[in-house]
Amino acid sequence: MDVSQYLEIFLDETKEHLQSLSDQLMSLEQDPENMDTINEIFRAAHTLKGMAGTMGYKRMQTLTHDMENVFSEVRNGTIKADGNMIDVLFQCLDALEEYTENIQNTSDEGTNDNEHLIKALNQILSSLGGKAETPASPAKAESKEASAAEENDASKEKWRDIKLDDTEKLVMGEAVNQGKNVMGITVYIQESCILKAARAFLVYKALEELGETIVSSPSAQDIEDEKFEFDFSVVFITESDTETVKKAVMNVSEIESCYISLMEVEAGAGGERKAVQETEEKPAAASATALAASSGGNAPAKTDKTKNAKPVVNRTVRVDIEKLDVLMNLVSELIIAKNSLVSAANTEGITANSAVNEPIEYLESVTTNLHESVMKVRMVPIETVVQKFPKMIRDLSKKLDKKMQLFMSGEETELDRTVVDEIGDPLMHLLRNSADHGLESAEVRLERGKPEVGSIYLDAYQDGNNVVIEVRDDGNGIDVEAVKAKAIERGTITPDQAENMSDKDAIGLLFLPSFSTAKKVSDVSGRGVGLDVVKSKIESLSGEVEVKTKLGEGSTFIIRLPLTLAIIQALMVEVGGEKYAISLGSIQTIEDISPDEIKFVQNEEVINLRGDVIPLIRLNEVLDIASTKGPDDNLVVAIVKKGDQLGGLVVDELMGQQEIVIKSLGKYINKSKVISGATILGDGEIALIIDANALL
Amino acid sequence: MEELSNAQERIQYIVVKFGDEQYGIDIKYIDNIVRMQRITRVPKVQSYIKGVINLRGEVIPVVSIRLKMGLVEDTITKKTRIIIIRLDNGEIIGMLVDEVKEVVTLETSQIEKVAYDSGEEKANYLSGVGKDKGELISLLDMNLVFAEKERQINKPE
Repeated sequence: MDVSQYLEIFLDETKEHLQSLSDQLMSLEQDPENMDTINEIFRAAHTLKGMAGTMGYKRMQTLTHDMENVFSEVRNGTIKADGNMIDVLFQCLDALEEYTENIQNTSDEGTNDNEHLIKALNQILSSLGGKAETPASPAKAESKEASAAEENDASKEKWRDIKLDDTEKLVMGEAVNQGKNVMGITVYIQESCILKAARAFLVYKALEELGETIVSSPSAQDIEDEKFEFDFSVVFITESDTETVKKAVMNVSEIESCYISLMEVEAGAGGERKAVQETEEKPAAASATALAASSGGNAPAKTDKTKNAKPVVNRTVRVDIEKLDVLMNLVSELIIAKNSLVSAANTEGITANSAVNEPIEYLESVTTNLHESVMKVRMVPIETVVQKFPKMIRDLSKKLDKKMQLFMSGEETELDRTVVDEIGDPLMHLLRNSADHGLESAEVRLERGKPEVGSIYLDAYQDGNNVVIEVRDDGNGIDVEAVKAKAIERGTITPDQAENMSDKDAIGLLFLPSFSTAKKVSDVSGRGVGLDVVKSKIESLSGEVEVKTKLGEGSTFIIRLPLTLAIIQALMVEVGGEKYAISLGSIQTIEDISPDEIKFVQNEEVINLRGDVIPLIRLNEVLDIASTKGPDDNLVVAIVKKGDQLGGLVVDELMGQQEIVIKSLGKYINKSKVISGATILGDGEIALIIDANALL
Repeated sequence: MEELSNAQERIQYIVVKFGDEQYGIDIKYIDNIVRMQRITRVPKVQSYIKGVINLRGEVIPVVSIRLKMGLVEDTITKKTRIIIIRLDNGEIIGMLVDEVKEVVTLETSQIEKVAYDSGEEKANYLSGVGKDKGELISLLDMNLVFAEKERQINKPE
């Protein structure tokens, strides 16, 4: 999977987290006992680890993992932060920064393992903790094993990714006709090798003696310049068989492994290349060899990456949101000033003068565009954060050895930039949580009569004045008793309290800091980082988190975020001379109804519209204002829908459709449910937004 | 600040008028004073909320202190102003006044902590009465004026 499109976000976020880490480390140095700082560091390291893992940067992940281990011990109080440790941690930060820089310049993290740092981190752990645990090496071995297991021979044969052009195909076809073998070769150089380019050169030399190299990936030039990881691939034509070639390659020292198989080439016709799935199977005649240069068997996308290894330029500018607020306010003032100018020109009767009129019209269009642009700068679809999740779930699926699938909807839902920036982490935690704790293993699922593949859903949608993001799984649900037991064990609550605790309160315990129901610490979730962070983050955005769960059936985490600055498409209407906006999303149709079409059912006004009996809601009555329409005038009715319920909102006039910015009315007003907010119209006037859902 | 208040602390008040009565508002709460502008009515809210205004792109509720204190409803004149108050909790509220008169500086000695014992609604909103140039100024305590609602705001949901 190509992760390059997330690279910018990754770089931005990594830099931010690194900055925060370094700030926090500084303050830790001053105040080594401060738990808040330690927690903050721990979270930042944890997030960094997760992000690096998602992007497939193993070295970065390993280093942050070990840093996190140290912070974890500090947080548990087994180790005290001292000068030496902070020194090491700062060195780690430098190393992480180096990785980031490499990634920015070449899309690759580089090859520095920083083993001395990992060793130093482990020394801190083992010397002070007395535990000879060396989480680094097992973790490393683990990851190596994992990658080895993940990638069977087929995926190691990276030459299959080489794209061949027509000439090359022609050459291969000819070779086949001449009875030669065309094979693909991928060579892996040992990671400890210092002079990779030299080794690669020797391999090429050995190959040259046996036949002819047609294509090489990366190019011979790049290999010479050491612009490759620990493997490279070539397509090779020879008269020898695969064994001979393999022997020749393996003769070069510091070569870890070499994957060779014959390529199926259509004889004569210039040959369409098809890779043979079984290495042993001998195809028609020819064989060619390919060596694809890519990294030490890490990310599947590495070949592509190395190929387009041009520097990633940061095209985004991060602007303090406060500056945007100021800008927005200035624009609003400008519009108001413009409007006064327009009305002044009108009253002075100088609009007839085109010398004045034209500039004013121009000014109007400019201010309108400016207004829109500034608003849009702040709004981004949540897509930018959620699009990295499918890859994450895929990786988790492998890591946890559980089958799972992620279904997403509503990625286009727009939110204020501040909010979107912040919800990435909480959502990631919730998804990891669902994957790790929520979903059962395949065996258990089958036993329970559920489909073997677990489902995780991420749904985003706008609900009135809120944006709701739901993370739902069809897993085990939350075991309330287990939560209580854990809380008692931790001393959070007493057994008596547990007895009287409602399920809702018990679930609330999950959101306490350092509370994790995971029985063992995994590097997916656990350690208690997660729900407390999720909660505090969402609350800092003045949102709320709600949990619905049913044991055995799954749980749903519902995040509700206020739309302090959301844009919606609205139908502008007039009622009693006042302007109101109704979200276009809930409107089905607009109807023109004559008064004699109104029927009464149980003393309520209804209309029969194409077979549906629809109750009429007279907005002027709801809004306590006199309608400007006479009783005999036709009614303008907006048919709104909520679920499968229909209703007809009677308005006085239609003003048209408009994109509006939702503003809150503030906390001071005890607003009724009908009014969900307000918006400022282009001329500076305020229109209230009617929540049609609340009327049905 | 408490210790200081025993000494000669000087506080600036903006003097506003409701009818013939003068009221003082601590200048530290005042964000802005704007001329009367179009107020958009908000249906189904507290009776003393006149509506909302657009203040530099923000939607701000406007409260009639007259209605809140049980006086006759405001008559809008050329002198009517909306005083924009920023409360300690950051909430911004507009306040309709008949007229803005002047700024006075009162020393602690000029302020008497008089408690009205009449059943008057406004008594609940005063922090004291100031004397300046022979005139009495009732000093409004902004946090009390907007208090009832505050208690509701802070109530956990």
